[in-house]
Amino acid sequence: MAGDQNETNQSQKRKRLSRRDFLIVLGVGAAGLYAGVRLGTPYLRLRLVDWLEASGGPPSNIDAAPDAWFEILPDNIVNLYLPKSEMGQGVHTGLAQIAAEELEISLDQMQVFHAPTSRLVDPVATSASNTISGLYIPLSEVAATLRELLRAEAARQLNAEPAELNLDNGVFRLKSDAAQQRTYGQLFPFLEEWELPDSPPPLKNKSQYHSIGIPHPRVDLPAKIAGEAVYGFDARLPGMAYGAVARPETVQGKLIGADAGQAAGQPGVLEVVAGEDFAGVVAESREQAYQALAKMDLEWEPGQLWQQEEIETMVTVGEGKGVIIQREGDVEKALENGMFVEAEYRTPLAYHAYMEPMAALAEVTPDGVNIWASTQAANRIRGAVADAIQRDEEEITVHPVYLGGGFGRKVDEIAAVEAARLSAAAGRPVQVAMNRPEDFRSGFVRPPTHNILRGSLDDQGNILAIEHHASSGEVAFPFLPSIMGTVLGADFGSYRGAIIYYAAASKQTTAWLAELPVSTGWWRGLGLLPNIFAIESFIDELASIAKLDPLEFRLRHLPDDESGQRVRAALQTAAESANWGAPLPDGHAHGLAMSYDYGTIMVEIAEVSIENDQVRVHNVTAVADPGLVINPDGVEAQAQGAITMGISAALLEEVVLKDGVLQAANFNQYPLLRNADAPDVDVIVLSSRDTPTGVGEPPIGPIPAAVANAVFAATGQRLRRLPLKLG
Amino acid sequence: MQLTINDQTYQVSDSPDRLLLWVLRDELGLTGTKFGCGIGLCGSCTVHLDGNPTRSCVTMLSSVQDKELLTIEGLAQVNADGEKVFHPVQQAFLELQVPQCSWCMSGQMMTAVALLEQNPNPSPEDIRQGMNGIYCRCGTYTRIRKAVARAVELQEQS
Repeated sequence: MAGDQNETNQSQKRKRLSRRDFLIVLGVGAAGLYAGVRLGTPYLRLRLVDWLEASGGPPSNIDAAPDAWFEILPDNIVNLYLPKSEMGQGVHTGLAQIAAEELEISLDQMQVFHAPTSRLVDPVATSASNTISGLYIPLSEVAATLRELLRAEAARQLNAEPAELNLDNGVFRLKSDAAQQRTYGQLFPFLEEWELPDSPPPLKNKSQYHSIGIPHPRVDLPAKIAGEAVYGFDARLPGMAYGAVARPETVQGKLIGADAGQAAGQPGVLEVVAGEDFAGVVAESREQAYQALAKMDLEWEPGQLWQQEEIETMVTVGEGKGVIIQREGDVEKALENGMFVEAEYRTPLAYHAYMEPMAALAEVTPDGVNIWASTQAANRIRGAVADAIQRDEEEITVHPVYLGGGFGRKVDEIAAVEAARLSAAAGRPVQVAMNRPEDFRSGFVRPPTHNILRGSLDDQGNILAIEHHASSGEVAFPFLPSIMGTVLGADFGSYRGAIIYYAAASKQTTAWLAELPVSTGWWRGLGLLPNIFAIESFIDELASIAKLDPLEFRLRHLPDDESGQRVRAALQTAAESANWGAPLPDGHAHGLAMSYDYGTIMVEIAEVSIENDQVRVHNVTAVADPGLVINPDGVEAQAQGAITMGISAALLEEVVLKDGVLQAANFNQYPLLRNADAPDVDVIVLSSRDTPTGVGEPPIGPIPAAVANAVFAATGQRLRRLPLKLG
Repeated sequence: MQLTINDQTYQVSDSPDRLLLWVLRDELGLTGTKFGCGIGLCGSCTVHLDGNPTRSCVTMLSSVQDKELLTIEGLAQVNADGEKVFHPVQQAFLELQVPQCSWCMSGQMMTAVALLEQNPNPSPEDIRQGMNGIYCRCGTYTRIRKAVARAVELQEQS
């Protein structure tokens, strides 16, 4: 196509600055001039580009499109296009703060957008708490490089040396004559002439920050509070219609026969699709689509009618495949000495239960395909839609819009694929927006887990050895090429949080993996919640047996390194803030738990009591240390939210499989924590490093154990299974 | 049939058994009111019907005729200069940076507005109970309670 030819010619003009594992690019794209940065895991990609260029072949377009993109408008507004999805975690604000820092502008001068895949394609998903930590350096360096290129251009135009210029909010002024000035917006159109330096300028020192580390209001909130923000469920196009899709009731159900039946004649029906593996209706209204769907003649093969007990048996230590992922010392021998302690823990199947069910709008035309979706993985949608309707990926543009929560599940492309199939059939834009039971039952869920911990203590109460067996359904493997499973052996999603952090001469962790008949996958924090629940409950059990205070016991077993010092500070800060050890009202008790997850430290102390045989959490004190803090208010919000969600998971949430059907169809069968039962969560944010680590998931890890440990302190009952139920 | 929503008159197709939520969202394009469960349980779809908080996902169109409807889109006022001014509840939710994903927030704010109209000086426990009907999966309950208390202050000031 003409547009492609144009794009190729332009890509030859692009300039690149390669650094470590990303590229800074300046160029001309379909939408204008840009300065961008190419991210991801491009070592292989860089080698490929180098090879292609060295061999005299055409420049490959794989380096052409950056992953984050700046453009500067004539009125000195900086547009920042991001490949990362805003689902409430505040990353658009945090990333804008990072960019504004090196660009020396205020956030008022910046507009942040979800980038459609026609501009940027993120090779990975918005997930794993890695958005800020992964983009901090690349975004800072491209912003700093852009600033210095602008400075050089300003100096050239003002016949001055760069050092003779002041820079303030995107305006360069001559120090000697402030009337002589150039704005970013005036300079940016000269970008095509610029030469990238050999390396990016040094980044600013922490002491110079005007943006990073300062609480900043979220850039997306005014529109959200006005009710104007557009989510996948809200996407609208002229002439759009509504789809309803047939879904099996059982977890392994398959469509084996479909006939339009009476559906075609129903009011408002535009198209009935009765395919081999897919059936659905397109109608003028949502209600008409669902009403007509019920009139189709559908035949299902339910598959095996699995029961809960069968699933739990599969997810049991010793079943399936076990891989040793941590080994220090000789655990087997060390466990023969001292006092031996053993305990086992379980967590159930659980839903993501975000408030906006899966939704996508697809417009399939001969000229191209547009998809608007609440998605954590626009790239996955592009590939899956291309496969489903036999189009080239290049013809498909995914427009990510705001997500009403994601928590891992919205990497799923199901609604977009269904909407595209129905749109292709009906010749109209079609939205598929699920009802709650469809959302609950037609995707992957959090896998159940079983953990066994064994330990031994010497007579001083020191840990001699800890052995951990962590069994889980799959988390990451279903989303990777199957070869990866063979190469990796253990599922890194399932065993996240399973490594024993505490100091002990002998430690061993084995990850057991069960392939289940029910789809399982990413859920906020992945293995963190079950594994930290097990480990931190067990540490509490050891402390109790050693007759040591749980705080003292943990402080005693910290590693003698930088992380140990940081954890010590976090533990002491939390203890002081919560008045750990001070008397509480009658029947109340404190429980403590912590996690060290990829550099982010969380310490959580819960105060609980028992009311009407139910666990009630009165308040939570949390300390978060995610290294360099970009937006302290954002860190606080993420910690409050993840802890509240974790309490909901710890006290209430469970899905049971019966006769092959996930039993909970809606919130009446899957209640979430409500406002009146939710504690106040106080968060103290520490910042003990010069680079940021993740915040979206880590706070959910410790809270179930903190609550369970508090229940033990209050009642003497040790609860080892989620949701926590008193005996 | 005719509906009065946010002080404006709308013509909608004559289908008394349609659910209000889908008429608002799909027919009138007022997508600020959200779908969450379809059984009147989560509260994301809360609107005001003659000032009373109402779950639009289980409300038939026939039952809203001749009543005043208010949705999130109508909560802000326009001042003499033509600028949009947020309701004190919206101001407080913004000031305290309450929303995360914000899918439930129109339900939260519509509920808070009704709560303060019925009880201009709620106690902390009144706020807890008054806001208990609306789920927030992102877990913003701590900030919701603070924001409702802050809205009381803002209302007193104005």
